[in-house]
Amino acid sequence: MKTGVYFCNCGTNISDKIDSGKVRDSLLAQSPGIHFKTVDFICSDEGQGTIEKDLAENGIERVVISACTPREHENTFMRMLSRAGLNPYLMQMVNVREQIAWVTEDRDKATEKAGRYIRSAVDRVQLHEPLEKKEIDICPDVLVIGAGPAGLKTALSIAGSGRKVILVEKAPVIGGMPVRYEELFPDMECGPCMLEPLMAEILHGQYAQNIELLTMAEVIGVVGSYGNFVARIRQKPRFADAHTCIGCAECIEPCPVSAKNTFNFNANERKAISFPFAGALPNVPFIDQKLCIALQGGQCRKCQETCPVEGAIVFDDSEKIHERNVGAIVVAIGSELYDCAKIPGLGYKKLENIYTSAEFERILASNGPTDGQIRTSDGKTPASVAIVHCVGSLDANHKEYCSGICCQYAFKFNHVIEKKLPGTRVYHFYKELVIPGKNEFSLYNRARSNPHAAFIRYADIKDLSVAGDEKGNGIEYQDISGKSGRVQADMVVLCPAVIPAEESGKLGEVLETARDSSGFFEELHGRLDSAQSKIKGIFLAGTCQSPMDIQKAMSQGMAAAGYVLSGLVTGRKLEIQPVNAEVDGGRCSGCRVCISICPYTAISFDAEKEVARVNDLLCQGCGTCVAACPSAAIKGHHFTNEEIYAEIAAVLK
Amino acid sequence: MTDNNNFEPKIIGFLCNWCSYAGADKAGTAQTPYPSNVNVIRVMCSGRIDPQFVLKAFEQGADGVIILACHPGDCHYKEGNVRAVQRHRLLLQMLEPFGIETERCRFDFVSAGEGDKFVKLITEMVHAIRVLGPLKISA
Repeated sequence: MKTGVYFCNCGTNISDKIDSGKVRDSLLAQSPGIHFKTVDFICSDEGQGTIEKDLAENGIERVVISACTPREHENTFMRMLSRAGLNPYLMQMVNVREQIAWVTEDRDKATEKAGRYIRSAVDRVQLHEPLEKKEIDICPDVLVIGAGPAGLKTALSIAGSGRKVILVEKAPVIGGMPVRYEELFPDMECGPCMLEPLMAEILHGQYAQNIELLTMAEVIGVVGSYGNFVARIRQKPRFADAHTCIGCAECIEPCPVSAKNTFNFNANERKAISFPFAGALPNVPFIDQKLCIALQGGQCRKCQETCPVEGAIVFDDSEKIHERNVGAIVVAIGSELYDCAKIPGLGYKKLENIYTSAEFERILASNGPTDGQIRTSDGKTPASVAIVHCVGSLDANHKEYCSGICCQYAFKFNHVIEKKLPGTRVYHFYKELVIPGKNEFSLYNRARSNPHAAFIRYADIKDLSVAGDEKGNGIEYQDISGKSGRVQADMVVLCPAVIPAEESGKLGEVLETARDSSGFFEELHGRLDSAQSKIKGIFLAGTCQSPMDIQKAMSQGMAAAGYVLSGLVTGRKLEIQPVNAEVDGGRCSGCRVCISICPYTAISFDAEKEVARVNDLLCQGCGTCVAACPSAAIKGHHFTNEEIYAEIAAVLK
Repeated sequence: MTDNNNFEPKIIGFLCNWCSYAGADKAGTAQTPYPSNVNVIRVMCSGRIDPQFVLKAFEQGADGVIILACHPGDCHYKEGNVRAVQRHRLLLQMLEPFGIETERCRFDFVSAGEGDKFVKLITEMVHAIRVLGPLKISA
């Protein structure tokens, strides 16, 4: 096997410290068949051209490039080999610049070390196998789970490129949490107004035909891998036909059944057939099966009788299981708020007039239970409102992390209260203040300049105690300096920690995607790849990954769309890199150690043949399983045991 | 024991491609000199380092082996470095019966930015092995 060793001088970067002549002489003394050539700059067009020609003219079958770090130019030289008609994996690079010439003071020692390294590479490269990149067909369609800001943005961005999106939402309405909020920080934009154009695009826009919206639906099973997933989606019956219904709401009034409206956090009533709130989209009511008399076998058909459109109310609607083939999945299921009842001293759910921030948002909203009026439970205007920041956040006993959004909406509340009820006392109880961003200071400054607002810093949420008395509620506190006090608070608004959505766990299992220690979906890399999960082809957007504001959630949605559009291109095949693991079925004892340690769930067990099998689409080529296999039944391509043993032996000679 | 200056220890360094190998490159770009005794073998992940590689290295004449991995939480392959730590602990227990001092098989974390740490670790390792002298396998 004729081996060519190409020694790059790198100008004088390498030649200053390593004498290529001496390296050549010692190599040829041991292996006279080696073809050795010194080049000034291999990476230059001219250098590469020289070598391409040389490879062909001398019938070289294996190549050693002695130059810089493979982290810089391995791909360059692999392409060079391909152009010369050689398999690119039949090459080994030797890093004599960064790891010898630049760090070894003694020229003789550097030359001797370079000789060792090159000899080692020559021995190793003899064992190299030609590896081929495999290609597989892909499905360009995409599943987006969750139709909040992040999911909507993702769906629209992908649909806009002409691709098909299946958008799955568990609620009967889209828009996520912010669509319930009348005003958003930092610039008091109206939530529904901001989101409605986006939602209208999804439902009726130019690319709406590319989006299949499945509301009241959840993903219950996913098989396959990047490029070719099959998702099973269970959709609950809505009992109203989205295509026929004109959204006139005539059906609501006659419905005789009433129950708590969960969309307004039980603050008002809704009917068995209802819209969650005025302006909710899609503009189609839904029937709560458990409440509806007709669906419970009774005689009532009042909604259907009132409906002006034939066929809009469908009592015989039933649960459907959809199966969709998709190439990628974007998780955008959002988050929830920490249960404030877990901090008993705050009186939540025990005392009147104590609300979570989300409940208070509905109180402030003109389409909410009080039509936007801030009133205590007995209908009075509150003279004082206490806003408690950091409820369960930055707290080792509850949630250690900062939710990052609470300060800003707390100061927004301050602003809205000041506007709606001038003169109202506002108390901000806070642990830390976190207000990043270029516009976000404005609401904070406003709160600071509100003459009726007071700021009290506490050290531990346990230092606050809310107690009811004949005048309403009062907060007894000890501030961070140890000073005790009491304020009257007719209304208390709690700003809870943002926590993972309840269904995160179930969905995490279905998708086999990791979640972090807090339960949020874990990103591939915190800084580089926060919109990718650790499973290839499953992307993350919005607060399912971490607490974040709408801006960041939308940006992550766009990032996820970017990954999908660039990685999974219609009509193009997916390339599988060949540096991966492969199980030799003949040697595999079926112990499954590899399955338990693979970080990518790329290994499965073939129960019929009783052997492990690597899915080379999921395998990232780390080789952890190769090192773990007690039967040496797994081969780590391009880093085989034999190749590494050869390197060890030669370098120690 | 005194430093044996005439003895040039042979040290094999198994480095993961993403952090530690890049850390060694960083020492290079910073042109920080260190002893030439280390022979680097690049693997894609420290999780690929089979304990047999280390035993093979000692068998073939290495006086010391250093395994360098990404810092905890920084592994390019999620948790390969965790496996490497576990295997190294077990490996140390295997070396003693062979009379191989545990100082001869070192494990540490080097990030892509820690060129200085790489230089420090190699320099320390070379010194420590010089003090121990050439490897003599007893069993």
